[in-house]
Amino acid sequence: MKQTAPLIFGFVIGMIMFLQYFIPHPPFTTAYSTVLDWKQVVFGMTLILGILSLLRYHMKHVQRRSSSWRYSVVTLVGFLVMVLGAAVQGTDRGVYSWFFDHVQSPMQSTMFALLAFYVASASYRAFRARSLEAALLLIAGIIVMLGRVPVGDIVQLDVAGTELSLSTISTWILDVPNLATKRGILIGVGLGIVATALKILLGIERTYLGKGA
Amino acid sequence: METVGIWVAAFFTLAIFSFLFRENPIYRFAEHLLVGVSAGYYFVQYLYSSVYKKFWVPVFQDGQWLLIGGGILGGLMLMRLHRRTEWLARFAIAFYVAAWSGYLIPSIIQGQILTQIQSTIIPPHDASGMTWAAHLSAWLVLIGVVSILVYFYFSHEHEGPLRIVSKIGILYLMIGFGASFGYTIMGRITLLIGRFQFLFYDWLGLTPL
Amino acid sequence: MDRLLNVLIRLKDLDRRVLFIFVALAVAIPVLKPMGLPIRSSRESVDFHRELTSLKAGDTILFSFDYDPQTRAELDPMTRVIWTTCFEKGVKIIALTLYPGGVGVADEISKELAEIHGKTYGEDYLFLGYNPDWSGTMLRLGESFRKTYPTDQLGRETGSFPIMENVDSYADTPLLVSVSSSAMAEYWAIWAGGKFGQKVITGNTAIQAVLVYPYYYSGQISGFLGGLKGAAELEMLTGQIGAATRGMDSQTTGHVLMVVFILLGNVAFLAERLRKRRAA
Repeated sequence: MKQTAPLIFGFVIGMIMFLQYFIPHPPFTTAYSTVLDWKQVVFGMTLILGILSLLRYHMKHVQRRSSSWRYSVVTLVGFLVMVLGAAVQGTDRGVYSWFFDHVQSPMQSTMFALLAFYVASASYRAFRARSLEAALLLIAGIIVMLGRVPVGDIVQLDVAGTELSLSTISTWILDVPNLATKRGILIGVGLGIVATALKILLGIERTYLGKGA
Repeated sequence: METVGIWVAAFFTLAIFSFLFRENPIYRFAEHLLVGVSAGYYFVQYLYSSVYKKFWVPVFQDGQWLLIGGGILGGLMLMRLHRRTEWLARFAIAFYVAAWSGYLIPSIIQGQILTQIQSTIIPPHDASGMTWAAHLSAWLVLIGVVSILVYFYFSHEHEGPLRIVSKIGILYLMIGFGASFGYTIMGRITLLIGRFQFLFYDWLGLTPL
Repeated sequence: MDRLLNVLIRLKDLDRRVLFIFVALAVAIPVLKPMGLPIRSSRESVDFHRELTSLKAGDTILFSFDYDPQTRAELDPMTRVIWTTCFEKGVKIIALTLYPGGVGVADEISKELAEIHGKTYGEDYLFLGYNPDWSGTMLRLGESFRKTYPTDQLGRETGSFPIMENVDSYADTPLLVSVSSSAMAEYWAIWAGGKFGQKVITGNTAIQAVLVYPYYYSGQISGFLGGLKGAAELEMLTGQIGAATRGMDSQTTGHVLMVVFILLGNVAFLAERLRKRRAA
């Protein structure tokens, strides 16, 4: 019952959404709209669940006085400041808005900016032309990197009436082999999505239900 | 208040950058504060936009009682927090995943698979209005897509002609991944540019020389 | 020869913090001392620009802030140019976001630009806010904007605003612009475009832009911008020179440095292989 009932429920909902695509008339359209509305609440609650799990983790750390428990206090204080700020002053001004603009936003941006340094280090240490395939990847990467910035137009050659520069070669790489690659992957991934979705609907794929399913 | 805000933002920016030298207490403080503040921000957003706007107001203020199902399923999701009740969350998870899967099947087939196949097959055969270079490119794309799909076909040993076609697919893939790598570098550097622009222009008040 | 090989091989073990310093200098110096390198526009940016400028005064477009603070450096410049172009042409904007972090971004940019151009909230632009479940939102908008967003971000009834008078679904908006740091742009093209026939143009981060090409060449996306370069191209096409154009010099030196790193790393690798061969 604990495994079968959710699967049957999911099958019914999934078939409503599937059939609605081909029968855009009542009662399927009403059911479809209702499912979409219910989905929005479930989605939000799923994410709230994630946040509550995070808080539970840090509260346990503080309770047990585990190593670096003081940092967990910082996390919990930060959380409370935002929630209380929003509750008292609203979300478009006050503490909530200020912390977003001057604490969260800059730090999130900077976290991602760190990647520029690590990608440079990785390029230097790990990007080796050990084989023909790796060399091809490397050459294509270099051409696109230089072709997409103004330096790509510095050297221009005229070959049989066609302008040849790093910029034009990188454009060709993006428009032809890159297009073929991404399209092939897109078709393959699409087929994979359809197969997995079908397996989920039919109850063959159950790992999403968690342990014991 | 704005000046204080800029100084606070600059402090936290430099605190995060300090990790490049080595991990230190200031970085850890900033990191944990970010986690807490972000969690608080997202909690408020999800609570307001999902629970309040999509459940509380429609059901209890506008009388749309059919939407109570969403609230019930959302509540079941929270049952995951306790071991004894976590099986109840399966109904909510099954609902969401299956609803999504049911809709995905026809829309991905139409919007992703068939459209892309159509765009691959038609141009090489319908060359009207195309230059010879564009027509050649269309054939190269068709060859590339087919050879890549052959490469990803693992149900059969890649021997003989299959091996040759698959090899061509690998070469296309390597060039495509090289292009992705180049663009990834571009994206990462841009994010760093943004932080330097903030530090130099907004915080230190410098102007370009 | 051996001495040269030893020097080259030692390059391999360079402390990464030295590399970090070079990266910082390569990016920081042009921010302070721009070089003013010329920018050439690409076909996809020209198409994006054409779709945007073909809008007429009184048209209402849908604009989706599909990004949050992490990628503001790449996407804010193009967002500002798009909004400025629309406001200058008298095009109205109904904005929304599919990212919770996008609320703060959208709030800041829309208020700032509305003040500069003397635009009124509810008449010239509207911010519907954040809806959880992005897929459901994209599909629901095809039926009705008001049913999808009964209230705006601040809880005011959507239907009460003048901008929503004759607009309630994709059929009433000639264009949807998605500025996105993820695959949202592609999903807008598949659902809003594929199911409801909405014309879609997108602004993407560089990482995402390379994945958009199949949708662009299949006609599902009518034009797109790729990263800071794309934003700089749009700035150049519209004459609104800003942060993106200023950033291209740093982009150039950063890329050149990366290429130097890759080549140096491979030289060290080849030197090691050569020494092993000589020793064998």
